[in-house]
Amino acid sequence: MTIRAENLTKRYRQGEKEVVALLGFTYTFPPGATAVVGPSGSGKTTLLNLLAGFDLPTEGGVYLGDIPLHALSEDERAGVRLRHMGFVFQQWNLIPTLTALENVAFPLLLAGWPRRARLARAAELLEKVGLEARLHHLPSRLSGGEQQRVALARALALDPPILFADEPTGNLDLEAREQVADLLFSLGEARTLVLVTHDLELAQRAGRILHLKGGRLVREEAPQGKG
Amino acid sequence: MELFLLVLRNLLARPVRSLLTLLGVLVATGSMVLFLSFGEGLRRALFQELSRVGPAIQVVPEGAEGFVFGALPEIPPETLKALEEAGKALGVRAVVPTLFLTRGGFDPSTSFFFQGLPEGTPPDLLYPGLEAREGRLIPSEKGAVLGAKVAERSGLALGSVLRLTPRLELRVEGVLEETGGLADNLIFVPLRAIQEALGTENVTAVLVALSPGQKAEAVARALEEAVFGVKAQTTSEVMRFAERALRISDLVRFGISLVALVVGGLLVANTVTMSVYERVREFGVMRALGARRGFIFRLVLMEALLIALLGGALGLGLGALGAFAINLYTLDQVGLALSAVTPRLALFALGVALGLGLLAGLLPAYHASRIPVVEALGRV
Repeated sequence: MTIRAENLTKRYRQGEKEVVALLGFTYTFPPGATAVVGPSGSGKTTLLNLLAGFDLPTEGGVYLGDIPLHALSEDERAGVRLRHMGFVFQQWNLIPTLTALENVAFPLLLAGWPRRARLARAAELLEKVGLEARLHHLPSRLSGGEQQRVALARALALDPPILFADEPTGNLDLEAREQVADLLFSLGEARTLVLVTHDLELAQRAGRILHLKGGRLVREEAPQGKG
Repeated sequence: MELFLLVLRNLLARPVRSLLTLLGVLVATGSMVLFLSFGEGLRRALFQELSRVGPAIQVVPEGAEGFVFGALPEIPPETLKALEEAGKALGVRAVVPTLFLTRGGFDPSTSFFFQGLPEGTPPDLLYPGLEAREGRLIPSEKGAVLGAKVAERSGLALGSVLRLTPRLELRVEGVLEETGGLADNLIFVPLRAIQEALGTENVTAVLVALSPGQKAEAVARALEEAVFGVKAQTTSEVMRFAERALRISDLVRFGISLVALVVGGLLVANTVTMSVYERVREFGVMRALGARRGFIFRLVLMEALLIALLGGALGLGLGALGAFAINLYTLDQVGLALSAVTPRLALFALGVALGLGLLAGLLPAYHASRIPVVEALGRV
């Protein structure tokens, strides 16, 4: 599934001043990995917020295949996210009162899966990310790398065609970073993966790299040996 | 991992706060149940008592409808005479003037309720089934007959002397068998003795016992027509009046317990609101993953409902326990269970607890469901 951003612009007011977070961004994200890089304040997070339907653009639109995401209500956008998107955040963002297994099963609960099926699917995914021994651990009992792998398993719970990853290795040590990156690219291979990162080394593993600066798309490149 | 489990896990994640809130609701509901159980107990005791009272009609001065206990003696001798004549003409079985006198205070062990009856009138005409356990059933001119509970708690026995005034003494001539009714707490004395003590010729009420086949309603209306300035009440009219009075007292007691309920509700609202503020990011994650607003709304509301319902159920248990303890005391002292936690009171208490949870949870639930995802995730 492709995501198409058309003339995507986001302005907001900061006191008296108008801030342009993103200006005229137009791009079609094809299946495969696309990294979005740029310095702080370049509009990376704003772009991801708009692509995922967390926020609405001031101008322009986002299309998931034929679905105009920007024209949908909040609840409709939540429904689209549930069916078509998976998320991996820098802060892992697991639900603290649920075990690893229950966290992974959470999107399946929202989708109305029966309990037995959800737990079986969640266990299968946790096994895939190498956490079969941690099924019943609360997030507070897991290391950063383990939590990120749980988040990755959760993102894949409903097998979404689109995967968003926002600095997925930002808070991890070197070893965990490699492990999570390997998993992200192998499990995200057949999907449209949008990877927002500061980490140029990580970005090099994507098929395409988009460079943002001052809210504008300034350059697109295909790393050597990719694309 | 159903919604309920999520709610429960969150409450258990903050055990002290949840427990304190639960205790608040428990105390509020418990005190309400206890307050209202007095009305239920009184209603039950009163209707049981009224249903076994002998005379079907109670005649009181017009405008003094209701109970005769504690009422002033306002029926003069001429009215009594007119009632006796009217009763004779209507063919009733008996016309019994009666007069009440209360001595003592709030403590049942030092309170005495005297009922004066015309000389020679057996108390079992008014309270069917009464029997003497010791001595006589009908007091003589200078005698008194004690109900079983009065004898038990006052330590009075056959031959003891009761002093109504410094100059008027009555000797205990009989003690009645316990019946579990009102008569257990009365002292039957001659009407003249109370009239002398109060310095009046009047009586409080006139009780009319019907002959077989007579209809209470018809006789009551005929008595009112025949005698000016009286109200003849049938037992069912007294019951209706009692129900009305009890409802008013229920409302007053509910009003008092409302203070505790409001405090309980505020506790729940505070707990749920704090929980919402602490979990903004969690709700943001849920929304990001695809949870609709309604899901978050239900999640928060259920938290308030669960804590209120649990507190309500435990409060109901506490109230029932309190009512039981009170009944132990009143049964021992006056032979009556004055407190009752009836099924309708239990349902009402749970309903109030649920309503409390609903009111306390609506606003935080609405707030939680409207937090923008980008703000909740700290991605602005």
